[in-house]
Amino acid sequence: MTDKSDLIKYFLIEADDCLNILIDGIEELELRGYKVETIENLFRATHTLKGSANLVNLNKIAKLSHKLEDLFEALIKGEIKYDSSHLSIIKNIANLIVVMINEVHESGSEKSDIKDKDINIIDAILSKKQLPQLKYDFTTYSVPQIIGKIRIEPKKFEDIFSSLNEVFYQKNRIKDKERELINIIEEISNSSKKLSKLVENLANIEVFPVNGGNQRILDSFSTGFDELEFDTNLEYQILLNKLKEITLDIKEGVKLLTIFSEVFSSFLKSFNRENTYLIDSIIETRMIPVGKLLHRISEAIKDKAKDLGKSVEVEIIGGEIKIDQSIIESLYEPILHILINSINHGIETSEERIKKGKEPKGQIKIKVESQGNGIVISIKDDGRGIDVEKVKELAINKGFLSLEHASFASKEEILSCIFSPGFSTAPKTDFISGRGMGLHIVENEITKLNGTIEVMSEIERETTFIIKLPQHLTISKLLIFRANELDFAVPVNFIEEVLPVENFSDLAERRVIYHRERNIPVKIFLEIFFSTIRDHQEGYLILFNFSGKRKALLVEEILGFEEAKIQCFGKFLEGLNHYLGYYISSKDIPRYVINPLKIFEEEFKIKKSSYDPIKSLPFKASILVVDESLSVRKTIQTLFESKNFKVYTARNGVEALDILKKNVINLVITELEIPIIHGYEIIKRIKKDGRFKDTPVIVLTSIGTDKHIEKALALGAEAYIVKPFDEKVIEKQVLNLLKRE
Amino acid sequence: MSEEIKHKEKSFCVFSIGEREFLLPKESVINILDIKRVFTIPGAPDYILGALPFMGKIVPAIDLAKVYNIEGIDYSNGKLIVIEVKGERIGILSEITPFFVDFDAEMILEDLIDPEKFFEQLKVNSQSHSEKKNDR
Repeated sequence: MTDKSDLIKYFLIEADDCLNILIDGIEELELRGYKVETIENLFRATHTLKGSANLVNLNKIAKLSHKLEDLFEALIKGEIKYDSSHLSIIKNIANLIVVMINEVHESGSEKSDIKDKDINIIDAILSKKQLPQLKYDFTTYSVPQIIGKIRIEPKKFEDIFSSLNEVFYQKNRIKDKERELINIIEEISNSSKKLSKLVENLANIEVFPVNGGNQRILDSFSTGFDELEFDTNLEYQILLNKLKEITLDIKEGVKLLTIFSEVFSSFLKSFNRENTYLIDSIIETRMIPVGKLLHRISEAIKDKAKDLGKSVEVEIIGGEIKIDQSIIESLYEPILHILINSINHGIETSEERIKKGKEPKGQIKIKVESQGNGIVISIKDDGRGIDVEKVKELAINKGFLSLEHASFASKEEILSCIFSPGFSTAPKTDFISGRGMGLHIVENEITKLNGTIEVMSEIERETTFIIKLPQHLTISKLLIFRANELDFAVPVNFIEEVLPVENFSDLAERRVIYHRERNIPVKIFLEIFFSTIRDHQEGYLILFNFSGKRKALLVEEILGFEEAKIQCFGKFLEGLNHYLGYYISSKDIPRYVINPLKIFEEEFKIKKSSYDPIKSLPFKASILVVDESLSVRKTIQTLFESKNFKVYTARNGVEALDILKKNVINLVITELEIPIIHGYEIIKRIKKDGRFKDTPVIVLTSIGTDKHIEKALALGAEAYIVKPFDEKVIEKQVLNLLKRE
Repeated sequence: MSEEIKHKEKSFCVFSIGEREFLLPKESVINILDIKRVFTIPGAPDYILGALPFMGKIVPAIDLAKVYNIEGIDYSNGKLIVIEVKGERIGILSEITPFFVDFDAEMILEDLIDPEKFFEQLKVNSQSHSEKKNDR
């Protein structure tokens, strides 16, 4: 398709570049005066502009550019000498060109006229005649067209965007650290409460029954008490008082820390708000109103319809909504395609329409709406519509739809078959008469933009295409989930709903769920990615909508939503096309962004790797440490992490069991006195559960009586270590037990 | 002491896997990383052990033991040699801490890895081609 509108599109892209150079040059000239490089730049820009304007018959722009070009040429060659009076003349012509190019942007043609005096004045300079003293009235030209724009070098712009990436990364990192801070404060605050309680108890214990308080000490002094006893008693009291004081200090400190963290959190919140605003504003600089594109296309379409002897009216709603410039450029073809299909095959001739009782003029309505993080463009015509039954028949014949599936497939699902590759090449396409033509390519283009396209139709009444797109490509909103110790993400654009799996009982066998009156096929992430089959299913179903086709993916653990800039895998890993890319999380962990379209392909399954990931990883094993005390957890964590172990920590029994369920744990170290579920119960549950019964358990506790040791070992604990512990002892014990395993 | 003719020398990075030693041109080595955790990339061929985050991007960790069928390798005290090829960063696992040596530039070195060729031979084309590449 190289009709005029296409050529104009390319012209405008080039013209905008030339204008930028032109405007920059004029500014230079104004600020720094005459410089030959400046004039050379200006000369080249006008030369290019003249050439490309000529190509598309934009004669006025070509003529003005030509005049400027001549002037710059004469200046370079020194045929005339530059003086500041030239500046206003150059500016004047440049303004005119800007105005005209804007007119071409909006309507496809130049509307303003060239006044003779504008041309004459240059001719006058060129013929080295005395300059006619003409006063120029700048207000007649829309100067703001120039002043209202800020020009940024494309390179600079790229820099800004890549630093945005960093800002996002740091933002998520700070958020994580804030959470950590809150947790630490909570821990200290709990410990401080315990300390207060302990000191209180200590004060109440009568160590020296005769001498309880200060008063009695004084008394005892007077009664001539044994000297040694007196000293011990006094020392004890002093110590107790000091302890009380320190406890109070800690309490006060914790209070201050809590207040500090609250204030800090609120600062962070407002900082984040401003940051988001800043990021949004920067992103917005790259966005342009979608109407610019739609108006251009619709003008072309009306002309085309006229050629076919049809008459259409195009109504555009929501043209002011802004979309990322790169998306707009990629949208041109698909939208043009849909509209051409519409006037070729959808909209009837006036006579036909009158016979059907429709308005003689065909109606096309393009509606753009903002929806959450995305944009919805619906293109509706009131033409013939699409015959669902015929699509169904052909889809079955062509193998896009199985007979069984066709029996319960929804109307929209059947219609979505028109996007299948090769659908249109079927011999009998007359009923749909080419509507399938290239629709696969349209779908492809939209998918590349992380968008979806759906079609709805009522025969003899209307057809509507609905395109859903992200508003910008720079930052993607992602849903993050975890599987097999790795983090994955998926763009939310494709996601319709997330459902808890409990609501669907027989999913494991049938691999289909019935939801909102639809049968939706299900794939299990662990199965297709890790060949792991679980007999009990738990977790969430991520429900996708791909241009009307619904699919569900079962994942076990969802971590939440995050905004990030997706990086591509690069040439070395480009074959991994089941991913869209990756990004590095705030904890320095890569999160692979899966390509949902790819993984729902019929045969998609990752071959089971021939090696065990746990063994081949430099991780020796993973250990779970359960203890209420932060210092114990940290000490053991640091000890084993430095030895290349993966260490999980839990503060209480519930957390411990949860970690056990979700991760591969090779060994457990637990205290007996832990909140919610005590240590004995943990040992019991581990040893009774078929999944973990072989996992060795080490008891690491401050309780050292034989009775407790016996009980723990009887329940199945492999080792018993009494605190305070020697790091070497525990390390040796762990290595021994793991070796045995 | 007689004067020796000075040969032109070239620097190489030497690393080893099992019994085998390999050489890399020094100029393509940009960093040597400790191996803390390698993140598996599901779907990547066997010889890519996983990925390591490095300067905001990931570096694939290539396990030459898989390429050359060397068994009994333990990378727990090893390093990842990050090299830059065609503007991209890839990593090769080494069992030992690599060191640098100078050789006569004219010498033909058998186990010298040509980064560009290496990149082309091992790059991941698509899932169906991801079987182990045994080219030697």
